[in-house]
Amino acid sequence: MGEQATTQNLSATPQTRDRTSSSNALVSLIEGRAWAYLLLIPSLILVAAVVVYPVLDGIWLSFHEYRLNRPALGQPWIGLEHYREMSSDPVVRRALKNTVIWVTVGSISQFILGMITALALHRSLRGFRLASVLVLIPWLLPSVVSANMWRLMLDSRLGVVNEILGRLGLIGSGHAWFTDPSTALYEVLAVELWKNFAFFTLFFLAGLYAIPSEYYEASSVDGSGAWQRFRDITIPMLMPVIVGAMILRVIGLFNSPDILLILTGGGPGHATETLSLYGFQTAYLRFDFGYAAALSVLAMFCLMAFTVVYVRVSGVTKE
Amino acid sequence: MASSMATPADSSTTVVYEQAVARSPFGSLRRTRRFYDLVASVVVALVVIYAMAPIVWTVLTSFKTEKQIVTANFTWVPTSVTFDNYVTLWRRSGYPHLLMNSAIVTAMTVAMSLVIGTIAAYSISRYRFYGRNGLMIFYLVIRMFPFTLLLIPLFIMLRNLGLFDTHFGLALTYTTFLLPLCVWMLKGFFDGIPPDLEEASRVDGSTRLGALVRIVLPLARQGIAATTVFIAIGAWNEYVWALLLTTANGARTWPVGLQLMVGEFQMPWGVLSASGIISIIPIIIGFAIVQRALVSGLMAGGVKG
Amino acid sequence: MNRSHSNLTDRMVDRRKLLGAGVGVAAAVTLRPAFGFAQGTPVSGDITYWHHFTSESEMAGLEQVTSIFTTENPDVSVTSENIPNADFMTQFTTAAVGGSLPDTTMAAADRIPDMLALGGLVDLSERFDAWDGKDGIDPSLMTSATIDGQIVGIPAFLFVDWLYYRKDWFDEAGLEAPDTWEELREAAIALTDTANDRYGFGLRGGDGGQGAVQNIMRAWGGLSADDAGVPVIDRDKAIEAIAFYAGLFTTDKVVPPSAPNDSYSQIMQAFRTGQTAMVLHHTGSLAEISADLEPGVEFMTAMVPAGPVERIQGVAPLYNGMCKEDNGDASWAWLTEWTTPDAAVAFLEATGYFPASSTAAQDPRITENPIYQAAIDAIPIGVGPLSFVGAPGWAGTSVLPAFQQVLTGQATAEEAVDQMIADLEAEIG
Repeated sequence: MGEQATTQNLSATPQTRDRTSSSNALVSLIEGRAWAYLLLIPSLILVAAVVVYPVLDGIWLSFHEYRLNRPALGQPWIGLEHYREMSSDPVVRRALKNTVIWVTVGSISQFILGMITALALHRSLRGFRLASVLVLIPWLLPSVVSANMWRLMLDSRLGVVNEILGRLGLIGSGHAWFTDPSTALYEVLAVELWKNFAFFTLFFLAGLYAIPSEYYEASSVDGSGAWQRFRDITIPMLMPVIVGAMILRVIGLFNSPDILLILTGGGPGHATETLSLYGFQTAYLRFDFGYAAALSVLAMFCLMAFTVVYVRVSGVTKE
Repeated sequence: MASSMATPADSSTTVVYEQAVARSPFGSLRRTRRFYDLVASVVVALVVIYAMAPIVWTVLTSFKTEKQIVTANFTWVPTSVTFDNYVTLWRRSGYPHLLMNSAIVTAMTVAMSLVIGTIAAYSISRYRFYGRNGLMIFYLVIRMFPFTLLLIPLFIMLRNLGLFDTHFGLALTYTTFLLPLCVWMLKGFFDGIPPDLEEASRVDGSTRLGALVRIVLPLARQGIAATTVFIAIGAWNEYVWALLLTTANGARTWPVGLQLMVGEFQMPWGVLSASGIISIIPIIIGFAIVQRALVSGLMAGGVKG
Repeated sequence: MNRSHSNLTDRMVDRRKLLGAGVGVAAAVTLRPAFGFAQGTPVSGDITYWHHFTSESEMAGLEQVTSIFTTENPDVSVTSENIPNADFMTQFTTAAVGGSLPDTTMAAADRIPDMLALGGLVDLSERFDAWDGKDGIDPSLMTSATIDGQIVGIPAFLFVDWLYYRKDWFDEAGLEAPDTWEELREAAIALTDTANDRYGFGLRGGDGGQGAVQNIMRAWGGLSADDAGVPVIDRDKAIEAIAFYAGLFTTDKVVPPSAPNDSYSQIMQAFRTGQTAMVLHHTGSLAEISADLEPGVEFMTAMVPAGPVERIQGVAPLYNGMCKEDNGDASWAWLTEWTTPDAAVAFLEATGYFPASSTAAQDPRITENPIYQAAIDAIPIGVGPLSFVGAPGWAGTSVLPAFQQVLTGQATAEEAVDQMIADLEAEIG
């Protein structure tokens, strides 16, 4: 640990050693701390240009009445009215609870299956290269196709799933999916697992290949077991990738419920409503942009709070 | 890197990575290894079945007629194979045009995201400066803020910049939304590369940029390949922005055409599954190329201590 | 068939409306020769048109209409932009706020108030009054497109609601096509045989089911519009209506168990595959059903059943509207083109969608086909969807989820109606 960390720290500090071969200003700029910022500029400009105005505008809107289909109302300042409304809106409460389940169960289940698959594929046996492409396909398929195909496969009349499970005697004939409010969300999560676990597999497999084999060889000499190697080498080496993939998946689940939209549309009776779905419907079905802005701000703060804690706990930017 | 190594390894020889355990010369471990290989084979087989069964069903459906799909008498395999769904798809006006637009926009997005994302990720991975935490979080804000409220301002912005209905405008939008992922993932992969390799190269007179290109990128090639696949998929399958920022005769991309299959009073299951199959074929080919180019080591030769 | 329809006509037809329609037809017939050439001065310009056609037949119909139009108006070019229906309002809203609306657009009846409020439709009243083709349009078809005295849409074609029923099963059981909701319920009970996976009625409880739920409440007198067009809910009657409709699923059990999530595809597939005996939809799905079941033998059509207070026989024109005056004359020529017999019949041939122009509706291909009789009977007594500013939003985010909660036992009919009332007050308040 000590040795590793020291080298890293040393090298991480921008070096200002004498270099006879390169003395012009550009090179010294490149070697200096300014270079760190220079490299960040293009991405910062792009992200800032797109994010800053809409976010500030959204926060501003959330304190105003703004209904696009009621131009006569204008855009009066109403202070915290939308937030008060949200706190007493039963759909918001339901959506928050669903969002927590959706994101937690979704990310953890996909993480576990993705990790197991990546570890297995990493053994690179015969045919595994083909297998690593095959397991990716659900993730490559556009959501509109896969979600609709699942609707067909889970159809109580035409569906192949019911045909199979019915023959096995696991469900009664004509079993209807997505109609029981207490299980509908989990049924969609099962489809979501199929659709997106390979996201983790893709990145974890890449991360596993990048771990120098010498680490494992050395530990084999020590006679450490598979679990020990997993715990002491694989997990720590993979950590930066795990941390990044997990947060991106959490945000992805939180904000793009396209599978949910096609399979249940938030129903039956708000049973699968999530915060982002509710926000979208409020804006583009009810044209209540003020309230939708407040919902979006709430969503953003939930994610922000999670991310800040997560970044601290995971130590993603620690040495 | 919070790595707690059980044994410090001599990483200066770490150049070409292979599967450690499989090549391990210690015969006493052979039996356990075989056991794990067996476990891995079973797991992979099960996962492949899980992932592929619905895809196989989609392929079968694409060769069925509407009557074989919507029927009271369940059919497993199409009794008579029909290519009508694919023919219908091909005949749909503008299909090649849409596919070409998608390819252009995807290529532009991948190029822009990789260049901009790589340098940003490298900076965050290698330099210690104030506000790195905040910066990493800032990149994520763009994905945190529900896109509901981004649609209109961004639409107006792109139109004012004259980028409405252009490949570049769409690619730029995608790049913005894919950058957070690009930066986060690439930083993770760069973190995993021991910096002493760069040190060695810099002693030899290389600049930091040179070290990035010649040392870091080749070592992170698997990560770059994975990130590339993600970006490509993101751009290839994106629908909402493609709809809002393009027109039918301009830069409109394939996912919009795909969405138009799902009509208000129709759900042509056969055509829908055929279009799903059609839309992943280019991606799989592209993936195979990327995998070959980046994983099998075209760039590996460039690595010198 | 004939018997039940004549009965119907006696009882239900609003004579004033019937008379109005008759005059309209007569006038249109006499004007017919003038129709195609009505626009005296040649118009020119490039116009754009947004629509949400998707299927191949609809696209073929659009192409036909476009080519007829450009032959008549060689100096006008029409650029059509198709937008998936589900995202139509997202794109329209963005364009309205962003200032990039097309010249002309398709406008569904229930979306018109919102589209107008977004600043996306211009007042066509002056042009309409000066138009010699206006007599071909039944005045009742203009209600949904007339807001505060402004005419903002020209009907292009009609979706006439009707009931599809399995004629073979009804004959076998010695049943007549139901004329009231109560008769429908009795027939559904008689035809339900769950052991053989057969249900009496296909109820759309999923996406898009909100229209039927509203119509049921209207048929029970639970939902109506006052003279100013403001929606009013009669709580007790609405509860009765919801209890009845949901009861088909929860207590009568004459509806397939998948109902709470069944959308268009599912209710249609259930009927086409012989799982359900009856299903409500409109003329737009005739071709699809005819592909599986033989019209007049296996299935037949009937008017929408009457409720205890009213028969809500939905007739929803799909309108075309103008978004801006930049190419006013060319845009107007395009909007009116759809009402000409040439274009309407071409479109009907391609799609089977009912013409809005009464002239075209007299085409023998329609009048001589018994399947269409229900629609012909229905048009004179037809009512449009309840339309007010915010109507689609209320229907989609309140009526439908509240009704689903009753279906799935999460709420009682009372609670659901109270929720709808509260949301309606928030919406129009």
